[in-house]
Amino acid sequence: RTNMSEIKPTDPAATNAGEEKDWAAAKAFFDSLKTRKPRPPKPQYAVTIAVSSRTLFNMVAERKIYEEEGVEKYVTFQQEHENEPLMPGVAFPLVKALMTVNSRLRQLYPDSEELFDIVLMTNNHAQVGVRLINSINHYDLTIERFCMTGGKSPIGYLKAYMTNLYLSKDGEKVTEAIEEGIAAATMFASGDVENQLSDTQLKVAFDGDAVLFSDESEIIVKQHGLDTFFEHEKEFENKPLAQGPLKCFLEALGKLQRKFYAKNERMTCPIRTYLVTARSAASSGARVLKTLRSWGLEIDEALFLAGAPKGPLLQKIRPHIFFDDQMFHIEGAKELGTIAAHVPYGIGQKYHKGELIEQPVKDKK
Amino acid sequence: MDSMVRNPDVKQRDAAQAVVVAVSSDAIFDPEVEQVHGATEPLRKGDAFSFMKAIQVVNERLLTLNSDETLLFDVILLSNDSEEKHSRIIASAKHYGLDIGRFCFCNKEDSIESLQSNEVKLFLSMDTNDVCKALQKGVPAALLYHQTDPNHQTEDQLKVVFSGDVIGSSEEMLHGLREQGFTETQLQGFKTAKGSVKEFAILMGEMRRRFGLEGSPLCTGLMTVWSSRDVCASALKTLRGWGLLVDEAFCLAGAPRSPILNLGFIGNTMKSSTYVKEGRDYSMYYGLEV
Repeated sequence: RTNMSEIKPTDPAATNAGEEKDWAAAKAFFDSLKTRKPRPPKPQYAVTIAVSSRTLFNMVAERKIYEEEGVEKYVTFQQEHENEPLMPGVAFPLVKALMTVNSRLRQLYPDSEELFDIVLMTNNHAQVGVRLINSINHYDLTIERFCMTGGKSPIGYLKAYMTNLYLSKDGEKVTEAIEEGIAAATMFASGDVENQLSDTQLKVAFDGDAVLFSDESEIIVKQHGLDTFFEHEKEFENKPLAQGPLKCFLEALGKLQRKFYAKNERMTCPIRTYLVTARSAASSGARVLKTLRSWGLEIDEALFLAGAPKGPLLQKIRPHIFFDDQMFHIEGAKELGTIAAHVPYGIGQKYHKGELIEQPVKDKK
Repeated sequence: MDSMVRNPDVKQRDAAQAVVVAVSSDAIFDPEVEQVHGATEPLRKGDAFSFMKAIQVVNERLLTLNSDETLLFDVILLSNDSEEKHSRIIASAKHYGLDIGRFCFCNKEDSIESLQSNEVKLFLSMDTNDVCKALQKGVPAALLYHQTDPNHQTEDQLKVVFSGDVIGSSEEMLHGLREQGFTETQLQGFKTAKGSVKEFAILMGEMRRRFGLEGSPLCTGLMTVWSSRDVCASALKTLRGWGLLVDEAFCLAGAPRSPILNLGFIGNTMKSSTYVKEGRDYSMYYGLEV
């Protein structure tokens, strides 16, 4: 199982001669363009986010054709409509926000490769690709890297493109990615929220257990109940929790945030992170904060709900994406218009098979 | 001067109708460091040996669909080896049951001429220099890659990947590159390569159409290594115009290419996520070193 931190080479400068030639050629090519569109960053230094075609664009109608009439009819349909841009999908606001952060970073650090790198990762047939590229052009998205696998699994390519985070509508692919050590989440549509989201600040919200942290404490809740959980967390308050699948992504965000702080832009930093946890500040919360501190990670706002529903709070925050391992919370977020992404990791998955059995964690004072 | 030897064990193809492909013997058989005089046992398999197996599968499937099919791969083994090794090469091909129609023995200096006189549609080698030299002389040539990811089970499939940088290039793009310091030789190289790949692409398009979207033993792809998505889109449309609808497309914009090219694939279809049978993918990458 790959460690998340192994996704990027430990020494990004150590590329071979062939790779350097390719990179130099790309640099020369983009510098030669009259349109002056920004050059994609060097992958070894960037935070690479791979989005599937169905998360980037709304392809619900097309998907129906694929499922009901088969792949050949589907590809033909896409070709016939390839000059009609697709409508934005559930990851579209996130991509726009990533682009905003990139322009701010480029202003402050014109020569840096430490940027977001957005890759389109799809198992669509390459002929569908023409419509996808046309749509990307229509919205002027800075996506220059893509991988269209023509039906094969994109999982192997995620590593080849050095992906830090993979977003898809397909839960099976996401589960496979997580098993391969790649941070990943399944995105869910939430209705028309785009207009309400910030277009100057990227907001990312995370659940704690089994997302940023391992599911070790959640196992205790599920198997031994809340009282044992509270005792355990108090006893082990100073022992850092093990890391979860999204920890490295939070780390990558923190690294970019610090670049703004270094230029005195803390108050206007275009990235803001949130922890939204069912834990309680009074009892089980301390361990979480201490764990983050031991990792050298900051989170801008830590919100301890003590078992209250997450939906209303997320509605106020309006993140571009909210990561949680439990479908119960995903549903709650969706209902109130939040863009939610399910992280299929840990013990929480055994408790969701079409039925919501999970009971909200209640604090006992 | 070359000597052409027909392989008596293989049914000769109609060269005018077939896709004549010349493959360097060093790719198929391990070029031995030590010459053991008088050795007779079969040569060891080279890095691209199984590429021959993949070609064979394509031919077999084509003949299964139509026993009178003439659009088949017709392989010429090109060897620059010393005369004493010739019979050993022929015997090794027989030993492994390779679908090689003809053997072409010649000196290294005469290779290009041999390729031209035999109307080879594509020359394949694992040696970058040989490929570049051939391309410069207008002989369509491509680099053979051996995919060796042991962690992945793969489907028997022949994968042909075309260069989007070459096919999607335009006068305007080349002019921009000139301003960035690319030499006239390099730019002319693009034009020559684009011209010489067309015929092979047309043939691949025709062959690919014999099979459906899924389950094809032949997979075609496009890879753009350093230019933009618009160049890739332009290449997709150009190939379409030549009758080739590629299955896969990759746009790297300067990201490293070898992890992609060296990837072994999990045999997946869009509908299921079950792992299909064992095998290996071998790809030909038609490209140009910049």
